[in-house]
This record gives sequence, C-alpha cells and structure tokens, in this order.
Amino acid sequence: MKRRAFAGLTAAGGFAAVMGTAGCTDSSDSSSADVFTAIETEIDANAPINPYNQKTNSFQGYNAMKLGWAKNSLTDANAFYPALAASWSETPDHLKLTVKLRPDAKWSDGKPVTADDVKASAAVSFSQGGGAFAVAPGAAGGVGAVKVIDAHTIEFDQSPGSSNNSFLRNVLNMWVVPNSVYGPQMPANIWDLIKTATDPKASKKDQAAAQGKVQALGKKLVEFGPKKDVSAGPFVLQRVNPGEAVLVKNTHFFDADKIAPSKVVLKNYSGNEQIWNYLIAGELDAAIYTATPANVRKKILAKQGNKMISGFSPVAAALAFNQSVKPLDNVHVRRALAYLIDRKLTTKIGESIGGAPSQTTTGLISDAANAWIGQAAVDKLNQYPHDAGKGEAELKKAGMSKKGGQWIQANGKPFTLQLQVPNGFSDWIAGGKSISSQLTDAGIKTEVKTSADYATYLSEIAEGKYQLGFWLIALGPSTHDAYARLYGPSNGWNQFGANVQHSAPGKNGNWMGGAEKATIPGLGTINPGELTNKLAQANEAQQKEIVAKLAAYSNDQLPAIQIWDYTNIQFVNESRFTNYPKNDSDVLRLHPGMWMQLGYIQKKK
Amino acid sequence: MLAFLRRLAGHLVRGVVMIWVVTTFTFVLVRLMPGDPVQTQYEKLLAQGVSAEQARAQVQVTYGFVPHGSWISQYGDYLWKLLHFDLGKSVSAQGVSVTTEVLGAAKWTIGLVLAGTLLSFVIGVVLGVIAAMKREGHVGSILSLIGSLLHGIPQYVMALVLVTFLTVKLKLFSTGPVNGLIDPGFNGPYLASIISHAVLPAAAFALSSFGGYLLTMKSSVVSVLGDDFILASELRGIKPSIIFRYVARNALLPLFTVLALSLGFMIGGAVFIEHAFNYPGMGAMLIDSIGNRDYSEMSGAFLLITGAVILANIAADLLYSAIDPRVRHGGAT
Repeated sequence: MKRRAFAGLTAAGGFAAVMGTAGCTDSSDSSSADVFTAIETEIDANAPINPYNQKTNSFQGYNAMKLGWAKNSLTDANAFYPALAASWSETPDHLKLTVKLRPDAKWSDGKPVTADDVKASAAVSFSQGGGAFAVAPGAAGGVGAVKVIDAHTIEFDQSPGSSNNSFLRNVLNMWVVPNSVYGPQMPANIWDLIKTATDPKASKKDQAAAQGKVQALGKKLVEFGPKKDVSAGPFVLQRVNPGEAVLVKNTHFFDADKIAPSKVVLKNYSGNEQIWNYLIAGELDAAIYTATPANVRKKILAKQGNKMISGFSPVAAALAFNQSVKPLDNVHVRRALAYLIDRKLTTKIGESIGGAPSQTTTGLISDAANAWIGQAAVDKLNQYPHDAGKGEAELKKAGMSKKGGQWIQANGKPFTLQLQVPNGFSDWIAGGKSISSQLTDAGIKTEVKTSADYATYLSEIAEGKYQLGFWLIALGPSTHDAYARLYGPSNGWNQFGANVQHSAPGKNGNWMGGAEKATIPGLGTINPGELTNKLAQANEAQQKEIVAKLAAYSNDQLPAIQIWDYTNIQFVNESRFTNYPKNDSDVLRLHPGMWMQLGYIQKKK
Repeated sequence: MLAFLRRLAGHLVRGVVMIWVVTTFTFVLVRLMPGDPVQTQYEKLLAQGVSAEQARAQVQVTYGFVPHGSWISQYGDYLWKLLHFDLGKSVSAQGVSVTTEVLGAAKWTIGLVLAGTLLSFVIGVVLGVIAAMKREGHVGSILSLIGSLLHGIPQYVMALVLVTFLTVKLKLFSTGPVNGLIDPGFNGPYLASIISHAVLPAAAFALSSFGGYLLTMKSSVVSVLGDDFILASELRGIKPSIIFRYVARNALLPLFTVLALSLGFMIGGAVFIEHAFNYPGMGAMLIDSIGNRDYSEMSGAFLLITGAVILANIAADLLYSAIDPRVRHGGAT
C-alpha cells in the first residue's frame, strides 16, 4: 500500500515537474495584496523574451521599453510621452531628429541605458525592416544615418530624398534593447551592411547581397531569446507558463517610486469570453479593449470595484464596395445604399457599447474630421441621413425601377446584394444582418454570407470575390494611414519610392476597383491616391488642405460607407488599486504598464 | 511470439505508410486553405488598435518564416526535415521551433484528457454494469436516462455551465493551467495548483463522455447475460461473484477498443473544453494555428494527432488479440 502511494506521488510529482519546466525557479509568494493582474495579449510560454518577436514574452510598458509612448491624439500622430527618451527635437523639415535619453535610466542588471543601446536597437530594427528602418534604397521616411553624440544623446538623419512626417514617430516607436545582450548577436560590420543595403548609389549586386545578409540576420534576431530578462522597464519577467506571465518590480527602474505593484500577473486568453469571465469574477485589475455585448457589460459592472473607462478610438467600421461588380461601379447606387442604411439602428444592433454611429463618410472618425477640417466643413458634406425617398431617387438616377417591391436594374435583372462578414466578428455579423434586413425591406434583397474565419475573409476580399463587406478604415491619428485604407493598395495605389502608381482593378491587390480620378463639385478632378501619398510629407497646414479634399472626395464617391466609429472601452477594478486614467484621457491606448510609468495606478489605502 | 512480432511489424509498416499518406494529405490541405499569414497578422494587429505603421513593422519579418518556393520543393524540404524529427519553425511565433510548441501544448492536453478519459471510462463501466444488473428496476432506468442525457449534452455546453457556476459565480476553481505565482517544480503547492486547475476541465470531459461508456457497457452486459454459457454457469451452481467476472470480462471487450481509440484521439485535445477553461493544450494550439494560417504549426499538430491515433489503433488491435483468445486464434464467431 505504501509503495503504491509512493509510486502515485512520484508520478504526480513527475507530472508537476514536467509541467513546471517552462518556468524559472525564483522564489515568489502567492498571497501578496499588491499583485496587479491584467490581461494584455495571448501568451506563448515558448516565445523568446524579445520584444521584436510577435509572440514575445517582453510586454510593452512592463519589461519592454521604447523611447516614447504615443499619445492618443485626434490629429497629432507625433505626440508622445517620454519613456527612455527624456526629450527630443526635430528640424522642421523632419530631416534630423535628436534624442536625449534619461540620464537615470538603467537596465535591470544595473548598467546604464546609453546611446549605444539605442544605436544597437536601431540596427536590430533595420534587420526587421519596415517603417523608418526599411532596408531599401530611397525608402520614403527611412533612417539614413545614426550618430552617437554622447552617452545620452543620439541623432537620426532621414534618408536624402524624402521629408517624411512619420520619421519621428517611427524612430520613437522603436524597441530599445540592451547592447550587451543583442550586440554580440550581430556582426561587427552591421552598419556597413545597412549602409550598402540602403545606399541608392551602391551597385545593385552589392545592395542585394547586403539586403540578403541583413534579412537573414533579422530572422536570427527575431528568434533570439535571452536566457534572462534584462529590462529597462518597471518590471522584469520572473517566469512564464502557458496560462500567465509573472513579472517582478525592477528596482533599477528610473521611476521605481511611482510603481505601486510589487508584481504583475498577465493572464493568457484566447477569446473574448475568457476576458469577460475574468472580469465578471473580479479577477482582473485591468483588461485590454474587448468587444462586449450589453448584457455582459452589465454583469461586469455589477461586480464590486469594476469600472468602465472610455475614450475615442481612431478606427471606424465601414461597408466597403467592390466597384468591379456592377451596379456598384455606379456612384448613384452607392449613394442610394448610404441613404437606405440607418447607421444609428445598425450601430445599436452591431456595436451598441463600443461604437457610435458615424456622422457621415469622410474617411476619418467624426471627431478627427471635425478637428482637421472643422465642424462647419463636415456639416456641409452630405450627411446621408436615413431617407428612403432620397435613396430611391438615387436608384432611379442609376437607371433602376421598382416592380413588385423589388428594385430592377436597367438590364432587367433584379438588384440583389451579398454582404460578406467574417466568422467570429460578432459586431460585424450583427451589423451586417441589420443592414441586410433594412435593404431587403427597401426592395434590394440582401443576403449575409459568413466566411469561415478572418484569414479566409481577408484572402477572398483581396481576390475580389465579395460584392461588399466590412472593412476597418480611418486608422488615425496619422492622416496618411487613415486614407491609405481607402486609397492605398486595396484600391489600386501602390508605393514606389516616394511616389505611388495606380493598378487596374484585380491587379496588385486592387479589390475595391474605384476610379483612379473623379471630378468633385467645387474641387475639380482629384486623384485620391496621389493626395494620400502627399499626406506623408505634408506639414500641418498642407495636411488640413489635403484632408478637406479627401474628405469631400470620400463623401462624394463613397468607396465605402462609414457605419460606426469605434469607442475605446476598457474595464478596470478599483478594489485593489486606484487612480486609473479618466474617460477620454490621451493615455487610453497605452497599456497599464505605461500608465504606471506616468504615475497612474496606486495602491488602495 | 514470432507470430506476435510478425503481426507487430505488419502494423508498424502500415502505420508508417499511413502517417506518410496523412502527412502528405495535410501538407496539401493546409496550403489549399485560403488566407495569408502575414496579411492576417497585420489586420489582426489593426483590429487590436495597433497603428498601421507599427503593425507593418511588426509583421515585416514574418514573411521570412512563411514557406516559399514550389510545392514540390517545400514538400521535399518538409519530408527531409521530418526524417530528422524537425517539424520546422512557427510562422506566427516567428521562428520558435514547432516541435517545442507542439510538445509544450501536448503535455497539458495529455494530463487533462487522460484523467478525463479514464475517469469517464471507470464511471461509465461501473454504472453500466449496475444499470444492466438492475435493468428491471428504477435504478437501471434512472441510470440509463442519466447516461442518455449526459451523452447528449455537447462538451462545450458542459464546460460553459461548469465555468459559469463553479469558476465565475462561486469562484471554487480557477481557469488556466496553474497559478504562475507559485514556484514551479516538485513541491506541494505547485502540485496542488496543477491538480486544482485540472479538476474542473477533467470533470467536464468525464461528465460529457461517461454516458457513452455507460450505455455501451449496459448493452454489452445485457447481451452477455443472455449468453448460453451464463445460463449454464448458473445451472451448475457457480458462485454469482465468479459469474460476474465472466460477464465483466466478456462485456468489457468492445469497450477496450473504444477506450484505446479515445486515448489516441485525446492528443487532438478537447478543443471546446480547453477554450472554455483557457487551458493551453493541443486543441487551443490547433485553433490558434489555423486562425493564424501557421502552416508549420498546423502540419506539426496534425502529424502528432495522426501518429497518436495510429499508435492507439495498433495498441488496440494487439491488446484485443491479447485479451480475447478468439481473435488471437482467428476463431471469433
């Protein structure tokens, strides 16, 4: 009997030991009241402690740091809070950026954070590519040179030939990693390779060879996992299992006094329901934005200490057209649909908590459009109120007629629609069903079809298989990014160096199939793709002028009908910690680790 | 012994061929699925509120981990690596070894589903025998009714009910695999944490599965009870306990096959249960990898599941011949 019990214990112990191999063996205590519990991202216990990896165990704001944290601004994409950078200055033409680091910033191993760390991080960023670190000669807004001025000052020059206004934000958004850890992973001639790879004057052969080496290094670096976390943030990773990551306070953090929790537990999730359950049970101090139906929100708020904070979100849900499909190529048909769809009703059904009906279609969320071109100018645009009469008038202009309650096209065929939504997007599915029922009632039989998953949806929409479907637009605060969703690759405009070229519908990712140019009353003929591209290099005054034109173009031509603007809803619990950001705070898009750095989140007394 | 070895070798050869066929099939299947891992990753980041510039920068390097080249060359490369027990690198986790990912998930699933399967088997068999013996009375009817009802409740409904009442409302249990604040290793609190986190998902599995065993066992016992040799045993005055052993041994035979196959399928994970309890096993990994169009992870997961089912089949076949002399000697009627 004893032997059996021992064998059972050994087996159970073996099972536990196997399960425990993902973690470290530092001591911890499970009874602390100052443990902050949050939900941030899906956790992969096998992922490296490396912020450049997608499934990283470096968590932004906790043990992963940048030079600055982007503010949630309606209009200024370059508004940042200082993080490892104490300050920065940029020349008016965006060509030179000087960054001063915090002199008191230290890594968790006690070493100071220096300009050499930032330069090494820039090299790692080049190996990953994209943004200011694109490894391509003459890439718009790319970093041309990095110069260490002193231990705490570093200069970034923009590549000659472009004066991109995204330069500052792309550099400040770079992850900063310790040179002592990442430096030895890179070859000694890394900067020579980067120079050759990005130099327009280098021979094509040398360029290609250098680009190949940098990209190969990128793969190696993104896989790289330091055995021990070396963090410049307020926390250091202690251990991680597939269910949660545990971080402990970094005593070397430059503002350690501001950080209230001694530990942070970040829980894993793989679906919204899990976040809802944790919130309803009162187990979370903070949760990321989660789509939440009204009944679930009620249950969450019924839990003692739970509170909701909200602010604007620079993203909108729109119904996008495939204009290669007749009669959707006819602007009168698109306008008719805009009149026939009741955005308030659709929003109430689709996204009653996390959305507000869009005022009209401008390509920007309503508040951003008002901020850029003024409320009066937005009011002058066609508001597309829910008006069956106006909708019918537009359909008649398109040559259609109504027989037996059904709209018939000029070619004699009934006008029917298929609206596509991806499985799993409950707000789009509900909103789509509401639109379907409204249009069917108006005489346009509309069927909602569901794609198996989001990957299938994205693939098939890009192949032009759908007539119309939901599409995220108005991605601010960068006006360029916002309009690139309507007048970028999906509508035929692709970037070549500092310029764009338009491809015919069905080619090079053009599934929206809109016209390359159109004449807008009072504005003349407009090429929206070229205007969008100009936004990347425009100053504020120029941006206002361009945004006014693009808003008018979008409103007149309707490549998509803007249905609702998203609202950033987050839930926090004030039972253990208080002093969370208020509604509409410009830190709402940041994570709680960054809130702590900015002085938010204090222990409840 | 020689016959057994010949039989085993035949099974193994057929198993390897079967694994190759399934591997080839899944290789083609996952590549036929519509969807691009890079585009999916990018749009998911946008949906999470990440700025377009940041999202672009984050997914840039992912492209390097997506298998490129013709299908033939990809297939050759895949098989060559497979022969060296290398399942490749994850696309969504950007370079993390698929073997590490798959084994990391499998260990949680095996612990959970093994406990759930054995629990449901034991409960099902015991209650099935009782239901058969008492089939004329209320006990037998009630047990049969319970078995039918529970067998009809889908796993995800059972899981949601248990999560809602015992985890969210009463807070008697926690979701996830283990409390991360406890030092991992061979120590009491860690062990207790693993067990307490596994109790509810295992119970969900057992509750939604034992009805099937119960009904099968009941039917099997009733069938055996009607056999001539049982009647003959009774007439010869053999003790009821010995008769019970005769009945149990014969009635259990069909259930062994079901159990062995269940153990093979358990590697696939109880997808809905793992999702409901936020349990990081194979089912959760498979769903995640399909959503991310992570070809390498999908292929690795399918391979492990296939291998487990084939091994379980072989084991079931060998076991059946070991416990049933009629099969061993080819004289089953």
